[in-house]
Amino acid sequence: MNIKALPLRHRFWTLNVAVLLFFMASGVVFAYFRFFHGFASVTNLNPAYPFGIWIAFDVACGVALAAGGFTTAAIVEIFGRHRYHALVRPAILTAFIGYFLVGLAVFFDLGKYYNIWHALVYWNGTSVLFEVAWCVMLYLSVLAIENLPNVVEQFRGRVALPGPLSALNAPTDWLLGKADGFCRRTMAFFVIAGVVLSFGHQSSLGTMMLIAPYKLHELWYTPLSPLLFLTSAVSVGIPMVVFEGTLAAKFFGRKPETELLSGIAKYIPLFLGTYLLLRLGDLAYRGVLATAFDGSLQGNAFLLEFALFAVPYFILKRRRSRQNPTLLFLCSLSVICAVVLNRFNVFLIGMDMGPEFNYFPSVGEWAITFAFIAFGVLLYKIGVNYLPILEEDH
Amino acid sequence: MDISRRKFLKIGAAAGGTAACAVAAPAQARNARQPDPQWYGMLNDSTRCIGCKACMVACKKENKLEAESTLGEKEALGEQLYDAPRGLSEHTYTLIKMHGEKEQEKTFVKTQCMHCVDPACASACIVGALKKQDNGAVKYDAGMCMGCRYCMVACPYSVPQFEWHKAIPAIKKCTLCSETRLEKGEPTACAGVCPAGAITFGKRTELIKIARARIDAAPDVYLDHIYGEEEVGGTGVLYLTKKQVAFAALGLGDFDYKPVSGLTESIQHRIFQYFIPPIAVYSILGGIMAYNQRRKHNAGIEGGDDEY
Repeated sequence: MNIKALPLRHRFWTLNVAVLLFFMASGVVFAYFRFFHGFASVTNLNPAYPFGIWIAFDVACGVALAAGGFTTAAIVEIFGRHRYHALVRPAILTAFIGYFLVGLAVFFDLGKYYNIWHALVYWNGTSVLFEVAWCVMLYLSVLAIENLPNVVEQFRGRVALPGPLSALNAPTDWLLGKADGFCRRTMAFFVIAGVVLSFGHQSSLGTMMLIAPYKLHELWYTPLSPLLFLTSAVSVGIPMVVFEGTLAAKFFGRKPETELLSGIAKYIPLFLGTYLLLRLGDLAYRGVLATAFDGSLQGNAFLLEFALFAVPYFILKRRRSRQNPTLLFLCSLSVICAVVLNRFNVFLIGMDMGPEFNYFPSVGEWAITFAFIAFGVLLYKIGVNYLPILEEDH
Repeated sequence: MDISRRKFLKIGAAAGGTAACAVAAPAQARNARQPDPQWYGMLNDSTRCIGCKACMVACKKENKLEAESTLGEKEALGEQLYDAPRGLSEHTYTLIKMHGEKEQEKTFVKTQCMHCVDPACASACIVGALKKQDNGAVKYDAGMCMGCRYCMVACPYSVPQFEWHKAIPAIKKCTLCSETRLEKGEPTACAGVCPAGAITFGKRTELIKIARARIDAAPDVYLDHIYGEEEVGGTGVLYLTKKQVAFAALGLGDFDYKPVSGLTESIQHRIFQYFIPPIAVYSILGGIMAYNQRRKHNAGIEGGDDEY
């Protein structure tokens, strides 16, 4: 806290931004067909695979990979590891962007998107989706509040709206002051609420596919699924912070925060170990481990998923490996891939809804997914460029 | 290193873990929903079906559904000759399919919504757009639906279908002719038209009696099992099969005698029961936070002791 976070103030229009805009533009083209000519004109979705990549990746992986926000907040703010406070602001910003995009992706995936507000009004308590929807919505609001101090810090006392809007400078400043006071008094409440809400919907996403006992493969159909989703999300939190921290340092030409990242990485094996123990224990207890070796697509997908989880666990247990930035980055990437593959396994690969249909995402589905990723990266750049998110090089 | 603090953290972690486990562990299955004697249903006797597909035609007429060209004749000849659906779809609420390899095992089976006693789709729907009606039909409300397609995942028979080709799509499925015919006291369109007596319309309790009587009267023709009496907690549409043909071979899964939504609902119930698990986790985390802040305050330094 002796070192202040500052906006980067880099040049905005770069080649990378142009690439991001290209991806977003191609997504918009396919989105036009999605909204005006139906799903069949863009997607490969079919009666046997009503959920495609937009749910498996954009929503399920999006939520899991935004876990860096609540894990970092919990480690620093709740468990008092203030040494890592420099990692909190970027993590909370990324989580906000991630959840915002999840909401947007849901909007794209809903057939009757204009009825999205029905989730607020018509309640069906038996539905897992109902719980997910509420938790995600509330958590997005909490994340907005958690990001508010950054805005206040940047603009309070120097609000300068353009042109005729300048008359509103004083009221805006007054509002920012109010927001500042509100945040200072209530931030502890929201930090904990964010963690509890994350626990809720991270686990509920694991409950979702348990409604289909005759469709989901037994390697993933387990009553423990909510706990496994939660622990794997917690496990991927810090790897995401490492991943983003390393890439941000590279692309913004900053000194990598190797010391901080290596330090916080010591929690990765702790979380991963818990997850692996639960996962293996569950498989052994249910006696389905043998199906992993039957050579089927599902069995092999499981083996790959498990290896991507287990290998970084053994590597990162050693302090020396954590201090090697390249190895730490690769291990983090492995955990991220493991969680992505796990979500794909549960939502797509492990789902067998009959022999007549198959599914592989179409060009349009990929394009829209890439557009979301590009939009997320662009929002991150805007965030760190104009708001005090990243701390000065030291 | 502070031993007492370390111990405290461990206790906190253990307590948090226990709370999380309480959320995950399935509660005792909720009480099974009992079928209402007023519910209507159908009895599909696959030993009687001759595969004439009159029921499919009647269904399309009743629900004003398009014919489906899947044989390529539209492309080859320029006109559509047949209604040839391959499976249930937004244009096909019921379908006759032939199963079996050997001659004496060949069986025609009708597919449509099973109108479950405890429907998985109704449990799954985020807004409650699918509901069991007093007459036994599982009704879909397009105005309420958000189009999330979770019902399609939930249904063990994969009955709900989505309008993939429409800009504003909805879910489509058999209505048990609930509003078009049942309310007028008429049987379902498919049952009314069947020339072979393979589809019997009536109250579910009566249908079970009829099915039982048929099995008892010809025990060497029928398999001694009424499909749907207990499967997935009971279905409104019941099936009979030939003695030598298993239901599983007819596409009617060998499902447990309990609703598929039992596990998800009990987990959900656990989480929301008086909000105890969320409040417990909140309190534990709050306690840890308060403890750490006071420690930091007492130590009078920022950053604090980060080792554990």
